[in-house]
Amino acid sequence: MDLKALKKQESKRKISKGYMWALFCAVFWGIWYLPGTVVWVLNPFDEMYGVIAETNGDAVSLVVTAVLITAFNALTVMLALMVWNGVLQKFGELGRTLKEFNPCSKWFFLASIFGGPVAILGSFMAMGFIGGAFAAVAALLYPVIGSVLAYYWYGEKITKRAAIGILVIILGGITIFGGGLITELGAGEVPWIGYLGGLMAAAGWGIEGAIAGKGLDIAEPDVGLTLRFVGENIIWWILIVPILAIVGFPMYSFAFQAFEPLTLLVLIFAGITFGFCYVCWYKSFPLIGVGRGQGIGNLYGLCAIIFIFLFFGDVPQWTILLGGALCVAGSFIMFTEEAGELETLRGE
Amino acid sequence: MGNRPLKFRILELYLDEKEHWNYEIVSKIMEEYGMKGDYHRDSINFDIIELASGGMLKDVEQKVDEEGIYKKGFLLHKYVITDFGKVRGSDACLRYV
Repeated sequence: MDLKALKKQESKRKISKGYMWALFCAVFWGIWYLPGTVVWVLNPFDEMYGVIAETNGDAVSLVVTAVLITAFNALTVMLALMVWNGVLQKFGELGRTLKEFNPCSKWFFLASIFGGPVAILGSFMAMGFIGGAFAAVAALLYPVIGSVLAYYWYGEKITKRAAIGILVIILGGITIFGGGLITELGAGEVPWIGYLGGLMAAAGWGIEGAIAGKGLDIAEPDVGLTLRFVGENIIWWILIVPILAIVGFPMYSFAFQAFEPLTLLVLIFAGITFGFCYVCWYKSFPLIGVGRGQGIGNLYGLCAIIFIFLFFGDVPQWTILLGGALCVAGSFIMFTEEAGELETLRGE
Repeated sequence: MGNRPLKFRILELYLDEKEHWNYEIVSKIMEEYGMKGDYHRDSINFDIIELASGGMLKDVEQKVDEEGIYKKGFLLHKYVITDFGKVRGSDACLRYV
């Protein structure tokens, strides 16, 4: 085979690999909404919600319970990623990267602030108060924030075609988001705290992606990602959970009750799906760029709706179907981008 | 034995502003970090690819690996550091040679 053909083949392979990682991210991310929704009706979280609601009201109870769920989610994700790094023989690299705090690992810790207490907590709030399908689609707006930040901050190019694709995906997200809201406005009962959670998810993930890119430039994704979850565990288990316990919420008594088989199984399922959705997400960024990685990863919204329909039998509204179709269309606009445009992703 | 993250070291090797073939860098890193086998070889090469697609290295020349010095029938790449790579390299507190 001649040089030119080999070059073309290699570039194609690289780009399709990037898109493949992003698609795997979408599937894992979509599946995550199953354990994420189920965990709310399992003890101790179900009981915890009831106990705190009696004394502090529904809204406070929801947020505090969501904190404990998110903290456990972070824990199982970190465990899943530790296993992953063990398999890849990357513990040495993990230590080396951790030591480079100022140039590198601080970005992962910073990313964990936006990813954990903003995005993931927000998602659990949306799942608990409105439902999995909503939580999934509400966050669909995050690539706007991610792409714009990446563009202004480190000059990542967004081609016209990618911009159109992102725009169509966003229109899809708005359709899904708006559909539910209009129905609820009509019924007179809008679960605002759930919508706030949805917005937190979108903003948090968009910012996280852009910040993480700063550290990922010079680190290995598997390692960077694990450090990002180490950071999130520190935030939950060393800062927020103890503070809530000191303030008087029964955090520890319910935390210890989480060690029962079914709850543990669901939490581990959440950890594995979420851990690997992140692995795939981060792996796609260096190959196809943060904006595109996030755009294709966005198909998770549709995946979540399909999985929720299959497992819970919830039939989505027509706005969800229309919005989902727009998301697929937008992703494919980005997917069919000419390989040549992708050869250099950033300005020099 | 190398004690900085792999990508830091790869950038550092390119900071001499000379062009280096990927197989030269890969074998140097493997030697420095005491790594053996195809898995690590491909993993380090992927780090170089990531640095290049991140705009820190520029792919300046390619040739087909006819003799199998790296991977027979595959492309060999020659890279040089970019201005962005130099900036990121010095952000990472690397020695600027």
